[in-house]
Amino acid sequence: MADYRDLWKSLNIDLEKHDQLCAVLPEFFGDIYLSQENRPESMNYYNFVVSEIHGYRIKELAEYREKGGKVFGSFCVFVPDEVALAGDAVVVGLCGGSDFWVSDGEKVLPRNMCPLIKASVGAKVGGTCPYFQSVDMLVGETTCDGKKKAWEILEEYTPMHVMDLPQMKREKDKLHWMDEIKIFKEQVEELTGNTITKEKLEKGIKLINQKRKVLQRLYNTRKAENLPISGKDALLITQIAFYDDPNRFIEKTTELCEELEARIEKGESVFKEGTKRILVTGTPMAIPNWKMHHLIETSGGAVVCEETCTGTRYFENLVDENKDTLEGQIRALADRYLGINCACFTPNEGRVDDIIRLYKEYKAEGVIYYSLPFCHTYALEYKKVKEALDKEGIPVMMIESDYSLQDAGQIKTRLEAFFEMLETSKEAAVTK
Amino acid sequence: MNLQTYILFPSHTDGLALEKVLKSNEIKYTIVPTPRDLSKCCGISIKIDPDQKEKIEGLIQKNPDIKIEGIHTVERKKRNWFV
Repeated sequence: MADYRDLWKSLNIDLEKHDQLCAVLPEFFGDIYLSQENRPESMNYYNFVVSEIHGYRIKELAEYREKGGKVFGSFCVFVPDEVALAGDAVVVGLCGGSDFWVSDGEKVLPRNMCPLIKASVGAKVGGTCPYFQSVDMLVGETTCDGKKKAWEILEEYTPMHVMDLPQMKREKDKLHWMDEIKIFKEQVEELTGNTITKEKLEKGIKLINQKRKVLQRLYNTRKAENLPISGKDALLITQIAFYDDPNRFIEKTTELCEELEARIEKGESVFKEGTKRILVTGTPMAIPNWKMHHLIETSGGAVVCEETCTGTRYFENLVDENKDTLEGQIRALADRYLGINCACFTPNEGRVDDIIRLYKEYKAEGVIYYSLPFCHTYALEYKKVKEALDKEGIPVMMIESDYSLQDAGQIKTRLEAFFEMLETSKEAAVTK
Repeated sequence: MNLQTYILFPSHTDGLALEKVLKSNEIKYTIVPTPRDLSKCCGISIKIDPDQKEKIEGLIQKNPDIKIEGIHTVERKKRNWFV
């Protein structure tokens, strides 16, 4: 097997600790993913990416950096990849979805903090995430207090740029966000030494739009009556979209979509008839946080759509490609990005509309409102969402869970009861 | 017994080269992370149906450019992670 130890050593990875992480992945991925029946053959590409997640891609990044290329790491769907690409830089997502990193995070953060932040900070301070070790600069944002303060801790370890995301969507907020995009552009130019021209930004916008379009095409296949792909696989694909080379991702996901569309023609499904179609809404799920989808899909449900940052929020709406000035392009970027309905905004009625729209588009039968513990904005927003869904007669259940494995049995019992209610008396599942 | 056969490679390029050969011969395969009990280095392996082993060995012999690090058949036990 390829030996990546020298590469990891050069990145200052804690080899011993990292080895413990590597030891778990094959079995975990095998049991969660490879045990699924009738998986599309094109999933082999995503299996490849996961198998080599700390190898092949890291090697690519190292080779790119050796040639003088710069790598940005980001955590959030608000960081405009287009701008970094226009400076010939690469953008990658960062580690943050496993319990493995939480204990290292708790060394520098309070315990009552969401597991995503604890795991991410832990992955950096413990030196066990080769992505964190491969970035020349981290790009943070102000989507929540936890992250905001975590950046102040992370900047002791790595260069950091923070974008100040407004919390309202008025015209003056849009102007502010345009300004933030301009400052980020200058930062990219300074780090890479490359000037961002209108032509280069246009190329970046087109590429990322293409990635969004292929994800939209993938998600459209999940609207079919016979589901050609599991929600678990679709989640994995969106997660990988944050990491892998965009061109390769677009090519391979197009191949997958062709296979899925052929399955739809034949009426082939990966679920048996009567499986409950579930819309998941809430907080993002970073690799390898596959817990909720796995529990849903082994309890009589099928996830048909994710209204999350590792779902529709990542790729819905495109950036207008027809702007002929840099200023116009930056406005187009701001328009698209401020169209995302993250719970950090107030008011945030758009998210309620999205949930109802997606529920109908994907012919869902119930909604699971998933929230990571201590994620206040999403936990608080449940009340508004639930009231709106009750009015529409849409059944919803909130589940709050971190990355640990202990509460799985309890969650499974709740899910089974919820699905049974959807089967026998959908009205009863809507508590008013 | 749930037996699985894994083909290990010195590098991912050999794995991807064999993938092409298997695809063109319409043989079912799955790219998987290399099981820990077979190798300590993380990276890809190709999982095949144990019944296809001889046929695939023949194909590997016909393609000497593809280097492998062994073919192993092991019993695979499923673990319930979330209970």
